[in-house]
Amino acid sequence: MDRATAIIPPGSHLVCLGLNYRSTPVEMRERLAFPEEQANVAAAKIYALPGFKESLVLSTCNRVELYATHELADSPEGHEALRRFLAEHFELGEDHLEALVFYRLSNDEAARHLFRVVSGLDSMVLGETEIFGQVKAAYQRALAGETTGRTLNKLFQQAFTVGKRVRNDTSIQRGSTSVGSVAVDLAEKVFDLKQCRVMLVGAGEMSRTCAQSLLSRGAKSIIVSNRSYERAEELATEMGGRAMRFDEWEDALHEADVIISSTSAPHFVIKQDLIERVMRQRRWEPMLVIDIAVPRDVDPAVDKIEGVYLYDIDALQAIADDGRRERQRALSLCEQIIEEHLAKFGFTPSHTPPPPAAGGATTEYSTT
Amino acid sequence: MDTDALLLLLATLACVGGVVHAVLALRAGSWKNSRLHWLPLTLAFLLLTGFLYLRGQANGRCPLTTMSEVLIFIGWCIVMMYLLVGPAFRLSLLGVFTAPLVAMLLVLAQVLPPTASPRPARPIIALLELHAAVSLIAYAAFALACVTGVMYLLQERLLKKHQISKLFYQLPPISGLARAIQKLIWIGLLLLSAGLAISFALKIEVSNPKIIMAWIVWGLYALVSLLMWRHVTSPRQTAWLAAAGFAIPFFSLWIVTHG
Repeated sequence: MDRATAIIPPGSHLVCLGLNYRSTPVEMRERLAFPEEQANVAAAKIYALPGFKESLVLSTCNRVELYATHELADSPEGHEALRRFLAEHFELGEDHLEALVFYRLSNDEAARHLFRVVSGLDSMVLGETEIFGQVKAAYQRALAGETTGRTLNKLFQQAFTVGKRVRNDTSIQRGSTSVGSVAVDLAEKVFDLKQCRVMLVGAGEMSRTCAQSLLSRGAKSIIVSNRSYERAEELATEMGGRAMRFDEWEDALHEADVIISSTSAPHFVIKQDLIERVMRQRRWEPMLVIDIAVPRDVDPAVDKIEGVYLYDIDALQAIADDGRRERQRALSLCEQIIEEHLAKFGFTPSHTPPPPAAGGATTEYSTT
Repeated sequence: MDTDALLLLLATLACVGGVVHAVLALRAGSWKNSRLHWLPLTLAFLLLTGFLYLRGQANGRCPLTTMSEVLIFIGWCIVMMYLLVGPAFRLSLLGVFTAPLVAMLLVLAQVLPPTASPRPARPIIALLELHAAVSLIAYAAFALACVTGVMYLLQERLLKKHQISKLFYQLPPISGLARAIQKLIWIGLLLLSAGLAISFALKIEVSNPKIIMAWIVWGLYALVSLLMWRHVTSPRQTAWLAAAGFAIPFFSLWIVTHG
């Protein structure tokens, strides 16, 4: 394998040992997760291993990755040292260790992998932005713990440059890819979310997800109404909202800006004449109605009412699918940007197609 | 080429450049709320200020002596209003829709045949200059309300038709646009009321065609304001009124300048 001698001093190796949501189930990942305060302790321990010059621990809910530089005979020796460190640190038995699927990357591959991770190309949701902040926080911790040196500093700073370029110059982060995020996007284009009041009619799992997405983005309040009042209370308590008896929700409907309906009723629960009356009460202030139920809860004729924006599960799903397709289309441009930066850094461009992103195949893993 | 003509040409190019940049950025989906997007219209504002200053010096009065000058003055007011209103409502995209309108006014001002003969010299009446300037700034507020109305209708249509396109993500929420329309109409109405109040002080005849047109425009927007205030019209209907209603003040300019 070609080496980036410009950044990695002669005789040194850049290595990455990791596992992620594709290679390892959550029950095993959580066993190997480093709490924030322990990540630096672990990095310091790796730093202290014979032959190691730099180290950084990246631990999120979807991945645990150890980045290091060492002056051992070759990369596999470095990978093995890191694997042994993990086994000791987490007190893993041999059978447990054997069951773990690590990816072992060196030099160009390790740098390429980091650039893809920072850009959100290796994330469960393609193009998600949270990972950028997580990697940055991991780097800041390692920097403060003085376990990074010239190579890792340059590599991570370049990775952040790549991440920003990918975010700004491509559409990899555009659009919504889940029903919950589509609901948030729609609400944001109708209201100021901070003033937005949400009502759940029916307390299904999907409506809970949508409501939580809205609340996490700043929705003002939530009312939960369900045939089982206990369930409504339970959900309202969980989300910091107010429960309402099922025979009362119609009277309170005009207070809500976003209605998320997911009852199991076999007929329409929200009808045209009800919404017309509510809109008069609201003095034609707009209303977003999200119908997640199958069979549908909301009469499609409601969509004809001025100021009412009705989206059923198919419409939401179609938008989420478009978002995913848009991101997939942007993927090749992202990979091109990454290769450009790798080349600028002295790494050898990839001649093989990059690993497909989320939902597809994986980085080449080697089972230990 | 005279300096004032050069400034006008450069201002027009700045507006057109702003439109081209915005359209390309929107098509690529790379439009962001960046201060750079304010640059073309800020530049156009400075150039137009220079133009109006030179014309004012040459005329020895507020540069509103020809139809071309009136159009340019309105263009300048629209840009000024946009620079004031845009940041307040976080509507940098309003510039994308404002720039073509201003560019159109500036191009129209340049292609209009020059006035056959200069108006006869008359003594400068400061109040009359103020009346004209304040009234035209009111028209600029109505123009911006029209542009905001178009943005509302566009976003509303995208929401209703489930067309979640690149433009959808760039346009502001309809509730914010509805608030901006209301405020712009109220600002315009207040300014036009001030302009008309000045006309009373000047004792201009009420039968003067300019004053009649100004009252018609005032009546239209007063009615729209009343409907908005009483919630008789929905936000969508208000947006339609703001968008289509601007045709009346726009065409009244012809009468005002040729009356």
